[in-house]
Amino acid sequence: MAEARPDRADVLASRVRRYGGTLVGVVAEHEEYWRQIFQLAAADLVKTYRGSALGWLWAVIKPSVTIFVYWFAFAVGLRASSTVSGFPFSLWLIAGILPWFYVSEMLTQGTTTLKRYSYLVTKIKFPVSTISTFVSLSKLYVHIALAAIVMVIFIVFGYPIDVYYLQLPLYMFLMFAFFTVWSMFAAPLSAISKDFANVVSSFVMAVFWMSGIMWDINSIKIPWLSRLLLFNPVTFIATGYRNVFIYKRWFFEDRFALLAFLVTLAGMTALSLYTYHRLRRDIADVL
Amino acid sequence: MTTQDIAIEFKNVSKRYKLYRSDRQRFLGIFSKRVAYKEVYANSHITLRIRRGESVAVIGKNGAGKSTMLKMITGVVFPTTGQLTVNGRVSALLELTAGFDPEFTGRENVHMRGQIWGLDKEEISALEREVVDFADIGDYMDQPMRTYSSGMKARVGFAISASINPEILVVDEALSVGDKAFREKCDAKIREIMEKENVTVVFVTHSRAAAEAICSRGLVLEHGRLAFDGPIVEALDYYEGPRDTSIQMGDVVATDLADAAISDV
Repeated sequence: MAEARPDRADVLASRVRRYGGTLVGVVAEHEEYWRQIFQLAAADLVKTYRGSALGWLWAVIKPSVTIFVYWFAFAVGLRASSTVSGFPFSLWLIAGILPWFYVSEMLTQGTTTLKRYSYLVTKIKFPVSTISTFVSLSKLYVHIALAAIVMVIFIVFGYPIDVYYLQLPLYMFLMFAFFTVWSMFAAPLSAISKDFANVVSSFVMAVFWMSGIMWDINSIKIPWLSRLLLFNPVTFIATGYRNVFIYKRWFFEDRFALLAFLVTLAGMTALSLYTYHRLRRDIADVL
Repeated sequence: MTTQDIAIEFKNVSKRYKLYRSDRQRFLGIFSKRVAYKEVYANSHITLRIRRGESVAVIGKNGAGKSTMLKMITGVVFPTTGQLTVNGRVSALLELTAGFDPEFTGRENVHMRGQIWGLDKEEISALEREVVDFADIGDYMDQPMRTYSSGMKARVGFAISASINPEILVVDEALSVGDKAFREKCDAKIREIMEKENVTVVFVTHSRAAAEAICSRGLVLEHGRLAFDGPIVEALDYYEGPRDTSIQMGDVVATDLADAAISDV
C-alpha cells in the first residue's frame, strides 16, 4: 500500500495538469474571440426579441407580470407583513427577485445553448466554450436594463441611491461568472442527453422556492441549516441584491456567505472543466 | 516536399462513432465505461497528403465517410486516433444549412459570418456586396433564412464560402441542389479562385462532369477506407466500375431480364 501512494499523487497531478490545460485552452479561446463574443451576444439579444410586435417590451412585461403575481399572492392573499426592514413588501420582493430573472433564463436556456447554436458547433470551426459566454452575456444585458428600472422604482418610492449600490456590479459579476460556468457544464451534458435538460427544467421551480427569494434567509433560526443554505449560489445572489437595496449591508460583512459562494463557484468551475474536457470532442458527433 | 507545400495531411486517421442503444445509455456512457455500445468507423486508417493548390474530389457511396472526412478537415469533428494536420484557413460549406442562423436574414447571416471570421466593417460590407451579387436571390436576401428553399440556401452558402478568401475551400454535396446555371457558375468560381490564389479545394460530388472539370485528383472512399487515390479519371472509373459493356451486363437489373424473357415468349 505504501507504494500506491505516490501513484495516486501522480494521478492527481496529471489530472490537475490536464484540467488546468483545459482551463488555459478555454481562456485562450475567450481571449482570441472576445470581439466575436460581444457581437454574438448582441445578435442573440436581437434574435430573442425579434418577430414579436412588442419586441423589447417583453423583456419588461414578463418580469412585471411575475412580480405582480407574487406580490398579489403574498401581500394580498397571504397577507404578508406590509414592511420588511422598513421597506414596503413589494420593494423587498422586487430587490430579491431581480436576479432571479437572469438566473432562471440561464438555468433553462443556458442548458440548451449548444442545441440552439448547433450550427456553430457542427458547421463552422468555432470555439465551443465561448457559446455559453455570449448567451450569458446577452442575458446579462437584459438584466442590467432591469436593474436600472428597479433603481428608478426605488428612487420614485423615495429611497435614493446610496453608497451600498457600489457593490451591485460585484454581485452582478459573481452571478454572471457562476452561471456562465454553469452553462459550460450543463450545455454539453444536455446536448448528449435530453434527460439532463428535463431534470434541470423540472428543478427550476424548486430552486426558486428553496433559495430565499420569497423568504428571508436570515429568518431561519437553525444555525447549521442557514449556513448550509448559503452554499446555494442563488441564495447568496438574492441576499446580495437585498444587501444593496434593502438591508444596507456590505458583501464582506457576512464572510461565511462570501466564502461559501466562492467554494461553490470553484466546485462548479472544476465540474465544468471536467465535463468540457470529457465531452468537447463528442459534442459535434451527437448534435 | 516541405511542410509549406502541404495543405492537409492525414496520418493513419480514424474516426469512430459510438452507437448507444438509447440516449439514456449514451448519457450513462459519459460516466461509466461499462455501458455497452457499438463502434462504427466512419473513417479508418486514412493516410494521405494534399498539396497546396491541389483540387481533390472525394467520391463514394452514401455512408462511405465523405462528410466525416470533410468535417475533420474543417475542424468541427475530431479524429479518434491518428494525426491530422491542416495548414491554412479553411472555409467550409458543409451540408445545406452551412452554419446559418435560420432566424436571421441572408444579409444578417453574411454579417454574422464575417464577424465570426473576425473581419472588420469594411471587409464585411465588401463581403456582403460580393455575396449579394453572386447568390442573386433578389429580395430574399432580407428575409429570414428559414423561409429559403434549399437552392437559395446553397446559393448564399456557396457565395459566402467562396468570397471569404479561403486558403482551403471545402464543399460538401450542397451544390447538387442548385440548378444547372448556378452549378456552372459555382464551377467557374471555384476554378477562378483556384487559379488566382492557389487555393486548395476539397469537394464531394456525384457529378462526373463537375469532378472532371475542376479536380485533378480523386479519392474514393469505401466503408470509411481510402479505396483509391489517383488521377481523377481513374478514380471515377474505379468508382463507377469498368466501362467494358460485357461486364456491365452483370449489373443489368432483374426487370431488364424479365422484359427480355417476356419478349422471347
